[in-house]
Amino acid sequence: MKVTELAQKAGLKAFNAIPDKEIRGVYISDMVSDIIGIREGNLLVTLQTHKNLIATANLVDVAGIVFCRGKVPAEDVVALAEKAKIGLLGFEGDTWTMAKLLVHLGLT
Amino acid sequence: MAHASAGHRRDVSASCRHRWTMTHLRPGYLVVEGCFHCRQRTSFFSTEPVPPIDDYREGDHFWTHLGDFQASVFDLRCERCGREVPLKDVLAIMLCLRCDPECGVYKAGGEPPAAGTWVYAALCANTSHVSGVCVSDTGIQALNEYFNAGLESSGKRIVVVPCRLRRSVDKCQGVVLADVGLTELY
Repeated sequence: MKVTELAQKAGLKAFNAIPDKEIRGVYISDMVSDIIGIREGNLLVTLQTHKNLIATANLVDVAGIVFCRGKVPAEDVVALAEKAKIGLLGFEGDTWTMAKLLVHLGLT
Repeated sequence: MAHASAGHRRDVSASCRHRWTMTHLRPGYLVVEGCFHCRQRTSFFSTEPVPPIDDYREGDHFWTHLGDFQASVFDLRCERCGREVPLKDVLAIMLCLRCDPECGVYKAGGEPPAAGTWVYAALCANTSHVSGVCVSDTGIQALNEYFNAGLESSGKRIVVVPCRLRRSVDKCQGVVLADVGLTELY
């Protein structure tokens, strides 16, 4: 599934232009020190919205990022993600609800 | 027999197109200290449950705690030949935000920067580089191979350089890949 398709099906809010990347897996974490170990193509689900997260997500080449619980990234964070061609999406519900929705949509 | 096996492993490793994976991932704290006497900076990685914050004297230095960040360190191991590259000298990785055209890290990205190229600096303990010691060439090469694996079709290229190329630790605006904002989650 592509990130754009996920955004549409899950009703996620887009904070920037969403590159049409293929989602190869899902990773849920709020720790940069944990995310640095994942491989490319994962959809990252998190509560963190700081710039360090984008710097890490770019290094491990995530497919996109979903911020849960209505978290909104700051402008400079969105600008860095835009430059890195990382789509930022927002979800009002909690992380567990997002995880269940992703499984329901066939992302495992 | 043991020598033959070791020699065989060296031969295999030399010709191997390594497929690196992270190994020995260790969580802890990146601790930064400064000496108010000579104004040098130094860093170390602490695996203690609570990072040390005590000031202390070491020879002519008076080290003061400047900050600490939750982070992780790791080594790389080749899945194909079994070779391991210890990265004990890499305390953290930092994204270059291209703030200083005279900085060596900036220059590593090219001018103008090549499309899709992102430069990261591997940070060693010797923050001020007075001794000249920094991350090993072997470590830098392995990090470049690891982070670029799988990026072939994405148009993205990661360039990892040693932090000795950084012009000024005080003026650098790079983003260190360490945990911040953990108290802002709620």
